[in-house]
Amino acid sequence: MKISLNWLKKYVDINVDNAELEKLIDSRLVEIEEIIDESTKYDNIFVAKVVECEAIPETHLHLCKIDAGKHELAGEDGLVQVVCGAPNVHTGMLAAWIAPGAIVPQSVHEDAPFVIGKRKMLGKYDSYGMLAGADELDFGDDHSGIVEIDPAGAQPGDKLTDVFELNDVILDIENKSLTHRPDCFGLIGFAREVAGVLGQKFVSQPLEETTDFKKLGVAIASKDICPRYSAVVLKKHGELKKKYLTKADTMLAKSGMRPVDPVVDVTNYLMLLTGQPLHAFDYDKFLAVGGTTEPKVGVRLAKAGEKLVLLDDTEIELVDTDIVITSNDVPVALAGAMGGKSTMIDENTKNVIIESATFSLFNLRKTQMAHGIFSEAITRFTKGQPAYQTLPVALECAKLLSQGFEIAEVIDSGYAPEKNVVKITTDEINDLLGTNYSEAEIIKTLENVEFAVEKSADGLTVAAPAWRTDIHIKEDIIEEVGRLNGYDNIAPVLPAHATAEKNKMVETKSQIRNFFSLTGANELLTYTFVHGDLLEKVGQDVKNSYRLVNSISPDLQYLRQQIVPSLLVKAYENLKAKHSSFALFEMNQTFSRSTGVDKDGVPIANNNLAMVVVDNSEETKYYLAKKYIEELGKKLGITLSFKKFVPVPKEAFYEPKRSASIYIGDKIVGCIGEIKYSVLNKLKLPRGVAAFEISLEALTEFATLKKTASEISDYPTVSRDITIVTDAPYETVLEKLQAKLQARDLVFKLTPTSIYQAEGADKPSLSFHLEFADKNKTLESAEILAIMDELEKAA
Amino acid sequence: MQELEKLKSELKALNAEYAKIKTIPAEQRAEFGREMNAKKTALMNAIAEAEAAALESEVEPLDITAPTAPNQKMPQFLAAEQGSRHPLMTELDRVIEIYQMMGFDVVEPRQLDDEFHMFDSLNFSKGHPARDGYDTFRTEEGFIPPAHTSTMQHRVLKAYKKNLEEGKNIAVVVPGRVFRNEDVDATHEHTFYQCEGVYVSKDCTLGNMLGILREFFEKYYEQKLDISTQPGYFPFTEPSLEFKIEKPKTLGGKKGEFIEMLGCGMIHPNVLKMAGIDPTVYHGFAWGGGIDRLVMLRYGLKDVRYFESGKLNFLKEF
Repeated sequence: MKISLNWLKKYVDINVDNAELEKLIDSRLVEIEEIIDESTKYDNIFVAKVVECEAIPETHLHLCKIDAGKHELAGEDGLVQVVCGAPNVHTGMLAAWIAPGAIVPQSVHEDAPFVIGKRKMLGKYDSYGMLAGADELDFGDDHSGIVEIDPAGAQPGDKLTDVFELNDVILDIENKSLTHRPDCFGLIGFAREVAGVLGQKFVSQPLEETTDFKKLGVAIASKDICPRYSAVVLKKHGELKKKYLTKADTMLAKSGMRPVDPVVDVTNYLMLLTGQPLHAFDYDKFLAVGGTTEPKVGVRLAKAGEKLVLLDDTEIELVDTDIVITSNDVPVALAGAMGGKSTMIDENTKNVIIESATFSLFNLRKTQMAHGIFSEAITRFTKGQPAYQTLPVALECAKLLSQGFEIAEVIDSGYAPEKNVVKITTDEINDLLGTNYSEAEIIKTLENVEFAVEKSADGLTVAAPAWRTDIHIKEDIIEEVGRLNGYDNIAPVLPAHATAEKNKMVETKSQIRNFFSLTGANELLTYTFVHGDLLEKVGQDVKNSYRLVNSISPDLQYLRQQIVPSLLVKAYENLKAKHSSFALFEMNQTFSRSTGVDKDGVPIANNNLAMVVVDNSEETKYYLAKKYIEELGKKLGITLSFKKFVPVPKEAFYEPKRSASIYIGDKIVGCIGEIKYSVLNKLKLPRGVAAFEISLEALTEFATLKKTASEISDYPTVSRDITIVTDAPYETVLEKLQAKLQARDLVFKLTPTSIYQAEGADKPSLSFHLEFADKNKTLESAEILAIMDELEKAA
Repeated sequence: MQELEKLKSELKALNAEYAKIKTIPAEQRAEFGREMNAKKTALMNAIAEAEAAALESEVEPLDITAPTAPNQKMPQFLAAEQGSRHPLMTELDRVIEIYQMMGFDVVEPRQLDDEFHMFDSLNFSKGHPARDGYDTFRTEEGFIPPAHTSTMQHRVLKAYKKNLEEGKNIAVVVPGRVFRNEDVDATHEHTFYQCEGVYVSKDCTLGNMLGILREFFEKYYEQKLDISTQPGYFPFTEPSLEFKIEKPKTLGGKKGEFIEMLGCGMIHPNVLKMAGIDPTVYHGFAWGGGIDRLVMLRYGLKDVRYFESGKLNFLKEF
């Protein structure tokens, strides 16, 4: 929303400089997105009288001599020569002359603003500057001719800036933070707030409601969809001549709108001023559509399937939440959004109906979504315009159009005014804000923006003005007091605090992050959303993934069931970027439809830790992945075991012969393995990529943050190597050795050193390095021999 | 195996057919070429799959319990200097640590939630246009990947209500991943991180909220900071504010250059009520702000898209 400071100043006495004003608005009313300085935009543009105007034969051009006051370019006759191509240029008119050296206002914000100069036209006519059209002056899109200025308010040589108050600053406001403040979508409402922010009392003009005119009825299907409907029927009695450029035109332009039609311009002007959108119907077309002799105006919900051709010529199919304005039950406008083609005003329009109404913001929001209509009007309606001013604004519109129209009839459904009264005490206000405002300060703050405050023994009774339909509870009043006096004037005070509880999963994740990063792995974050193709490539059932109905692209359509597939994609990208050996890990949430919902009825989230290991060596990657997870387990004080792979469907991409289920005790908590060749092929990955994915909930549950230290012995430690030749699984051998050592109550450390299998041999040799000691004595060599012998036999 | 041989001979035959192109009228050649290429691509894919299947059938099982394979070296971790923590997670851990020092418990949010927690429990009336401001994604079932960490407020208030009954305060932060359906560019991501704060007690004030937030940012950026505010609008807080800090001098900030860090406000009585907390006895405040922005500022990063890019070139910087 664009606010002209010059326009604002007509409603509030601004006694601070612009910088201070902007700061106050920004910190106490609304975020200013951009401050557009237009103070020099119209420099070197003058009011000029066309004194001579001769057509140049065989062209559309005129050679003009203009009186631009005492200008340095004036010749001996006091006139400046300029060639003009506009068809409406004529002797005696006042025009806007852009002098040589000036920037054409239309191009001011472009990268290369257009500077007008002196040109030779048709090879022989010197032309100084240009006579400007509304488009070049950035007041509209009209390129049909040059603007004409009313001689009643200007003289040749006047600066255009002075005549139209164009030395201005435009505030571009962030609408979002005013979602609850429909009143601020009109300049008067905005000015009221600025007065409040400046500590001044704002006094609204009384609203005109008296009507001695003939009244017409309106059939409103339900007050819920249209709390109030007002309109004036205007009969034409003269011409509204759109001859001169007006200040109102420049206001519209500065507010981001465009003058289009004398009647529509007035409705737009009033909308910008009051926040109340208006719509103009062609009265005679309205009757024709309904086949009546007097307007039969109705407001109802559309019937699904009904069609309506809008002003912009698009035909829409209405939905049953759209509100329509009807003429004898025939839809003629999409309420609050856009008028219909069939009742559109045009250059032949004689009589008009000016509608001023309020509609359900809930319905209009749906209309906005269903039909993609985003106009200045619907933006205001979806904030919930209050009902109090519909008729007064319609009457004001009639007044502004009185040159050409007079009121014939008035429509008003009436409304029940809201009484929003809140009882509150000074203490309640100060206690929530952490302030020390006096009762008098509070009353003044509220009265400045036209709240009615009554003092009584038990506090204040605050009545909100009619436009503050958002005021219902004490906190609403507290907000006004805090905001208008400036939240920045509230002292920040740290409250006393207790100690926090640790969050074990957060701690565990932090530990994992530390351990893996210190062992050469890289932590990644990848998207929760994946492409359906990825799910298919890794053999996961697409139907088991939650699917977004409004995804940004197919790449981000499904919620992932596991993290590893995302990491595989990143592994490919990093290989392409010339990284050859890496371990990528991520901790994040996953969802599967088959997992079901929790007690709140929302899908159960699985927090997982996943890793993908890629390396350019010939070694079996499974064992590197295993080392990562196994050592992490030790770090967390968890014993993990690796047993026969029992895959669930979403783990179909692991090669079953080279994968294992990971257990804590007898509970499966994840899986580890190499990725199937077929999957690697599809993902363009080299062979021998290993991965694991494990439940973070399980790791957190079993992690013991305290570590038990191993027992040590004070007696000499024996150091031996032992090799066992066997085809039994490694773990079985290890367990047997450990069992023997434990049975002898020794302090020991058993470290695998190698697995060797000679060519042609049917069994591998498993070698270990063994350190052991007795807890109570020095071991004799005979005893050592016996132990070693027992161990060799055991396996 | 036989299948593979068959496919290979089909491919051979197909290649031979290419020669026919000379006998085909010129205007049909393009079409012929297209058909042939499509057939060839299909065959090549089938062969690749059959080859993979053949390989898979020949895959040697391994001893899943062993530390390494026969005749291979014992696996070694990758070089320590090559490892990295994700900068967002490192910073999130720091954020958590600071809040914990200030007495805040940590609750992690979920990445798939529902309309009730996203809107209803936060005092958004049904069908209210304010819901549109959040650009939410939705699943077929109507679940919502949360667009803000405030989705956890209701759960936190309910879970910690017992604190109030025991005469203690509620002080919780909720750091986590959120999602918005918006176009991605250097400063916008559809996936990003936020940290929510919730504080409830009998006598807390808006001044306390400003105190906590200033303290947090001063600790995080390790320097004294000026703060400023702006009125805001959120259905779940009243009053509502935007909170800004003066850009830290060490990070190139100039005097008076404020940057928006988060939205905050006093918890709306309806939100407390809905969680079973009496708003006439207790007050609260809450805030939520982006973590990505915080981290980008701290490290001088210009492009938010790197965070979820998985690019090692980027990650190894941290």
